[in-house]
Parts: sequence; C-alpha cells; structure tokens
Amino acid sequence: MMRILFSALAICITLLLQANLAVAAPFKSWAQLTPMQQEALQPLSTQWDSLSTKLQKNLLNATKRYPKLTPEQKQRFQNRLEKWSKLTPEQRKRAREKFSAFSKVPTEHREQVKQMVREQEASKAAASGVPPVKPAP
Amino acid sequence: MNQKLYPEQVKQLLNRSLGRLDQPTLARLRDVRVQALARYDARSAAPVFAWAGNWHVAGSHHKSYYGAIVVLLIALLFSGTAYWHQATDHDVSDVDIAILTDDLPIEMYVD
Repeated sequence: MMRILFSALAICITLLLQANLAVAAPFKSWAQLTPMQQEALQPLSTQWDSLSTKLQKNLLNATKRYPKLTPEQKQRFQNRLEKWSKLTPEQRKRAREKFSAFSKVPTEHREQVKQMVREQEASKAAASGVPPVKPAP
Repeated sequence: MNQKLYPEQVKQLLNRSLGRLDQPTLARLRDVRVQALARYDARSAAPVFAWAGNWHVAGSHHKSYYGAIVVLLIALLFSGTAYWHQATDHDVSDVDIAILTDDLPIEMYVD
C-alpha cells in the first residue's frame, strides 16, 4: 500500500514539476526565438522584448499552429499582430469573449454577418483604393 | 501390519519402547527435548517482545502513512491547478490565433 502511495506521490511531483516548469518558463528574447517563431511574429520584432510575459506566452503558444495556416491566414495573422499587441489585456479578454460568443451563433447567421462586413469592407476599400482582404477558404 | 492405530495405542507403544531404551539414549533425548523447548519458547516470545519494543515504530509507520497521503493530496492539488492553468493558456492561444486569422477584422470583436 505504502509502495503504491509513494509511487503515486512520485508521479504527482514529477507532473507538478513539469507543469510548473511549463507555466513558469522564462520568456525568451527575440534573439532566442526559433526561426519559425521569428517568421510568424516578424511584425513584432522591434517590440517583442517589451511585451508583457503573458502576451509573449500566448503569442508563442499561438505560433505552434502557424505552420499549418494557409498563406492567406498567415498574412492576416501577421497584419493583425501589431494591433492585437497594442490592445489592453482587458480588451483582448473582451475580444476573446465576443469571438467565443459569435462562434456559438448558428452558421447561417454568422455567414450573413460576415457577408455584411465583407460588403462594408469592400465599399470602404473601393473608396480608399485599397483592395479588400479575401475571406478565408 | 495394516492395523489402524489409535492415539492411545500409539502412546502405549511409545511408552513401552521408552521403557526399553538405555540410560544414555534417554539422557540424549531429554537434552534434545530441552533444547527444542528452549528454541520454541524464544521463537514464540519474540513477536510479543518485538511488538512491545517497537510499538512506537508501528505508530510512526502510521504517521508516515498519513503524512504521505497528505503530501499526495497537496501534490495532486498543485499539479491539478498547474495543469488547469496550462490548459487555460492553450485555450486562450487557440482563440487568439482564431481571432487573428478570422474572416472578420479584429475591430469586430474589440470595444
């Protein structure tokens, strides 16, 4: 019984250490990022070291999916990075909540909203002479 | 030869055989019996003395058992919390990348 208990304890302590190491991992400077991370986060290269550790951590986690994005999504990701990093933590939190709520709206309604936004964007772009951003495939 | 012997008959036979044994053999048998009894007494008394002498060890065994359970629960609590934080961070990052690559501009979600 004691042997089982101590084995379970050893496993828990190992998991705890791993989890704490992952949570409390020191954040890397721009120079320490991998080439893939640098490529994904290129628009933030000059301000990376001044970003909050929480934002750095979230962005580094997000870059794990970067290689699987389509070229258009990659472009969009990079275009929005700077704006995203300038938001306050509270604004980012609200944005996540709104996005999650919008994801639960029925697809049909969501598409209608997206279509409306696309039309607005297209008309704005036509007025300013900048081509509109294409929708994701 | 195949006659069944009852314990009483065995006892009588042994007593009769004993009467025929010479004195040196009887003396040796007595010594062996005394030695065997001495060994038996030492063995049967040992657990009692062991328990009597080590009752505090048994107590500390229980203490370490409960201590291990408490430490295990604390470790479980901490590791659970740490993993919950980690999982939450991954969820947040998933939403972040979804917002950053969505059809709709960020302005749609920002106040």
